[in-house]
Amino acid sequence: MTLASLQEEGQQTAFHQEHRSRLYPPPLASAFLPVIHLDPMEPAIRATGIRKTYHSGFWRRRTHEVLRGVDLTVPVGTIFGILGPNGAGKTTLISILATLLIPEAGQITVLGVDALGHRRRLQQQINLASGAANFLWSLTVVENLFFYGRLYGLRGRALTRRVDELIELFELTEHRRASFDKLSSGLKQRLALAKSLINSPRLLFLDEPTTGLDPIMARHTREEIRRLNESTGLTILLTTHNMREAEFLCDEVAFLHGGRIQGQGSIPALQEQLALGDRLLLTFPDRLPALAFDKFPGVLAVQPRPPVLELIVDHGELRLPAILRELLCTDIHPVRVQYREADLEDLYREFTR
Amino acid sequence: MNLPVEFSKSFAFAARAMIMNRRNVFAVFEMFFWPLIGLFSVGFLTRFLQLDSGAVSFVLTGALAMNTIQIAQLDISYSLLYDVWSKCLKHEFIAPIRLGHVILGAGVVGLARGLIVFAVMTVLAVYIFAMDLTTPGLVPLAIFFFGLFLMAAIEGALVLSLVLTFGHRAEVTAWAISYLVLLLSGMYYPVSLLPPGVETLARAIPLTHFLEYFRSFYGFPAPGGHPLLLGLLLSAVYLTVGYALLAFCLRLSRRRGILLKLSE
Repeated sequence: MTLASLQEEGQQTAFHQEHRSRLYPPPLASAFLPVIHLDPMEPAIRATGIRKTYHSGFWRRRTHEVLRGVDLTVPVGTIFGILGPNGAGKTTLISILATLLIPEAGQITVLGVDALGHRRRLQQQINLASGAANFLWSLTVVENLFFYGRLYGLRGRALTRRVDELIELFELTEHRRASFDKLSSGLKQRLALAKSLINSPRLLFLDEPTTGLDPIMARHTREEIRRLNESTGLTILLTTHNMREAEFLCDEVAFLHGGRIQGQGSIPALQEQLALGDRLLLTFPDRLPALAFDKFPGVLAVQPRPPVLELIVDHGELRLPAILRELLCTDIHPVRVQYREADLEDLYREFTR
Repeated sequence: MNLPVEFSKSFAFAARAMIMNRRNVFAVFEMFFWPLIGLFSVGFLTRFLQLDSGAVSFVLTGALAMNTIQIAQLDISYSLLYDVWSKCLKHEFIAPIRLGHVILGAGVVGLARGLIVFAVMTVLAVYIFAMDLTTPGLVPLAIFFFGLFLMAAIEGALVLSLVLTFGHRAEVTAWAISYLVLLLSGMYYPVSLLPPGVETLARAIPLTHFLEYFRSFYGFPAPGGHPLLLGLLLSAVYLTVGYALLAFCLRLSRRRGILLKLSE
């Protein structure tokens, strides 16, 4: 049974039970991973005041301040998205949290461990996959997994069993003897995800996991990530600038812009926080009706652009019938009504402008 | 410390290097081609110059050293260079490994490959160019090889430090460093021929003393006495400093973002 083959909702429970034990087999967890006891109320990541500046040039020093005091809290068991435009510092932030970069300032607690002070203890519990999947070119799928498994201290039958499980789980069985440079982009991505689970991590970092994949493969990867989270309770922190991906995957998001987190929370909570309402577009034949739309219940903003009137309302479905009733009482009736719910893209525009 | 787990981490690098060598025909080519070119060109030069037995052995000792160190050092340098070229360095350093795992794993393969090259070249040097091995005997030969391997490990640590500090620009040192060190250490000549300042520098290199130790069996006494002890002491100091430097450079590359740049 593979992740991709589990399409039916009814199979989910069985899948959860089967794969939770396969992804986190007790012998592995107990024999090779130092157990970190995490308070259930403790977030998976708590970072405060992270600052990072890059320096370049030898004779003429240039500095580029990427992070200017990032505060971030990632709850346990969630898929958490860091969103932001290119160059916002998403990869820098995820690399700092994953112990690959050292910040100038800040405090980071990951899975209850001081990430800057006890890096090696933490590294046993985390892993990373990035969109640009790169591994040693002439090693086969199975050899790459064996190599990384050994780096996490796996050996003997436990390692062989783990590699076989991941190969089956990510449908790599018929490619297990193929060298990395012979794999398609999709297969490379699957190998990257398989590698990222080799140590049964408690926290997984995914840096733009679907970059460079075709739409079908990207969707397949997103589904795998979602199922992984649902079946194991694994906390996943991902970066992306694909809003549809974030909407599909993330329980919570944070917007990184100008070196700081501009907003963090669930998508509905952020919409509410920004009073970011739904959009009603009313097109009239020539002129706009002389009604005080801003006095209507639930109307957050009015933007007249004759012959179009744009209303931002708190709940579109709720407010539209009342607005239309008022309009029908006048002699100017709309010829076209368009309605669009606020989405993550609206939030993104608000937080990154 | 769980020794089997620590061993497994080092073995990962050794196993990977063996696979890369086995799968790449040019790795085998590189292992024998340049050493044999070096040995034969120097060997025929000694015949042309009609050198006596001691002088032939003196010169061929340099040829053995040059190629053995180069092969063993490259294996240690490749331990991270493979990942730099594959842009996957970050996957190694997100794992709970120490630099010691990398050096030990790659060093074992370097030791094995260096030993093969050293053995093949020694046999050819003895049978084709009449290099004298009976005078020093096998134990000094084994000690000499061990000294060469220590020098390769020091050079490998230096190359890796430079790559982690300066990125791709420093890759060329993997091929250049052995020749520079051998030039200073008296590859085919005694270091007393070097200008005084350079000779002082040469005396600070362990290889100079290992070469003087082995050449002393052919009637070329070491000027300072106890060349083997000096070579081993200097090696211990340089290995310790080299490891500390490598750890410092890795931390620096985490701080400066070089580690990430080498993974992109």
